[in-house]
Amino acid sequence: MTENKRKSWVNWALFLSTIIVVFFLGLLASSITERRVEEQYVYKPTVQITETESRNEVWGKNFPLEYSSYYQTADTSFVSKYNGNAMIDMLEVDPRLVVLWDGYGFSKDYKQGRGHFYAIEDIWNTLRTGAPTGPEDGPQPSTCWTCKSPDVPRLMSVMGVAEFYKGKWAGKGEEIYNTIGCLDCHDPESMSLTITRPALVEAYERQGKKIEEATHEEMRSLVCAQCHVEYYFDKKAVEGANYLTFPWDNGKKVEDIEAYYDSIQFSDWTHSLSKAPMLKAQHPDYEVFTTGIHYERGVSCADCHMPYKTEGGQKYTDHHIQSPLNNIDNSCQVCHREDAEELVKNVYDRQDKIIENRDKLEELLVKAHIEAKTAWDNGATEVQMADILQDIRHAQWRWDYTSAGHGNSFHSPIEVSRVIASAIVIAQEARIKLATLLPQIGFTGTVVYPDISTKEKAQIFIGLDINKLEAEKKVFLDNLLPTWKKAAQEREAKLDVTYF
Amino acid sequence: MTVLKKIIPPDDWKLPVIVLLGIIIGLGIYLFKISNAPSYLSESPTTCLNCHVMTPQYASWFHSSHRENATCNDCHVPHNNIVNKYFFKMKDGLRHSTIFSLRLEPQVIHIKQAGLEVVQENCKRCHESVNQNVNTINVTGVNYSHGDGKLCWDCHREIPHGTVISLSSTPNAIVPKLDSPVPSWLSKLLK
Repeated sequence: MTENKRKSWVNWALFLSTIIVVFFLGLLASSITERRVEEQYVYKPTVQITETESRNEVWGKNFPLEYSSYYQTADTSFVSKYNGNAMIDMLEVDPRLVVLWDGYGFSKDYKQGRGHFYAIEDIWNTLRTGAPTGPEDGPQPSTCWTCKSPDVPRLMSVMGVAEFYKGKWAGKGEEIYNTIGCLDCHDPESMSLTITRPALVEAYERQGKKIEEATHEEMRSLVCAQCHVEYYFDKKAVEGANYLTFPWDNGKKVEDIEAYYDSIQFSDWTHSLSKAPMLKAQHPDYEVFTTGIHYERGVSCADCHMPYKTEGGQKYTDHHIQSPLNNIDNSCQVCHREDAEELVKNVYDRQDKIIENRDKLEELLVKAHIEAKTAWDNGATEVQMADILQDIRHAQWRWDYTSAGHGNSFHSPIEVSRVIASAIVIAQEARIKLATLLPQIGFTGTVVYPDISTKEKAQIFIGLDINKLEAEKKVFLDNLLPTWKKAAQEREAKLDVTYF
Repeated sequence: MTVLKKIIPPDDWKLPVIVLLGIIIGLGIYLFKISNAPSYLSESPTTCLNCHVMTPQYASWFHSSHRENATCNDCHVPHNNIVNKYFFKMKDGLRHSTIFSLRLEPQVIHIKQAGLEVVQENCKRCHESVNQNVNTINVTGVNYSHGDGKLCWDCHREIPHGTVISLSSTPNAIVPKLDSPVPSWLSKLLK
């Protein structure tokens, strides 16, 4: 027998280290087994989701992956060259906008929106909704809520669509509480993509198309087209209602919508300086996207903004809706094999080149408004000004059509460039007419253009008392808004959730 | 013999050591079995499905022109000599298994430089006869990384995995699933 020369502690050390090695081998074996098992997909519903469930947290109990990725839209840390997911005060970035929207709410406050998480918070805070003191007060109608909350389809199913569009914005403040969410796009029973906003369905019907026949891939764009579109309020369709309508009857191109608005003699507001009957374009993202190459190749909104992810055996859609510039690997490189840097450069090149001409167009529009005011001040008549004002209306409409959707210069650079070019031509036509008119009515001096190099100077120039507006807003935020939140919370506390 | 003397335990310890050795080796064999380690020596494409992230690649290959003529190894493993083949397989395999175990696989998998060079050589290996009179036969992965020449699949983009690359690109594909590590006679007994 060999004498054991090892000390006993060595043996104990060997024993313990073997235990540890075996333990970790076992853990490795477990991890391998785990990854084998996750090949299978398991869906375990925990709560019943009703037809009017507008609370996203409840849906989230059945769909935790989608829910948690959706709430990442709270992130505001991403900044791209021109946009990103933080709020940007566009009037500060481009004070010309203040003058272009003189006489309209956007001259008071226009911030680039942030993630869907903030939809309700931001509509409470914007100066454009004013400072209501009660349910029948304030500048905006109830229709303004339409795109902001799953409480909207809930209310529409209860009170009817036309009724929903009646009354003031403040009138529904207590009912509309949850931010844009699951019920807006998904059927509660089958989870299929579905259209909940009547305006889109009605627009399709007027064109003789059936939205129920849309393919799944088309639906992946159409659910976004419920809100990311140009719209107007039809005050004549139903008595007392601001009926949300899409102006697509002639088509979705800028000229088609312009012709539609002209034919019904519609204007959003009258410009305070030039008295032109103006049109405001609201985010015609879908209309512009459908003219671009990605749409032509069959790509949908969700393919880039909500790409698929796979975790284990589970494929799900990443509900963190954001700029693809913040998700290049999964948005762009699924199909494009170039380096991320090259792809970003491609995006910025297109934006740079379009913005070059867009800025020029804005300068011309500002000048046109001011020159028109000069004409009015020197005794121009309505007959003399009629064509000029129509040109200003059309030129600014086209400018807004390209600029109001922040992704437009990437979604369809050729079309956007074309539209801006056509707008420059129209704006200059207006200015040529004005240059001809001014000496005819006896003005032989030079037109004075104001210094609008900052938001503050521009707002003073158009006569806005911004401090007063902000003070009034604060009164609303401190007084009426808390009552809305409290009422909503009390109402929701009484709602049942059925667990399986 | 003296080495043996040093490692053979004293009598009192012989039994515990034997048992412990048995435990470690048993676990090792178990690890071997559930990770399907022996399959990696084969040429079968189903081996690559040990990691479910390869499902889209398997499915797209299975529906491509290369299904009847080339398996995963025919393209992705060097065939210039046998030592290089198994060395590359080992290197690649160790890398893949580490990333997979640590859950570091990206949503969109792009081939790396080493893999790219191998695939380009293999395209040429099989398709030499149609390329030998044109310049394309001279492109290597190394030249390409210096900006000289286009890889075969820069033009033949669909070959064989298609142009849409993502872990999610073939969600409903029917591919051979991993067999349960529990043998059928045992699962019958346990019913």
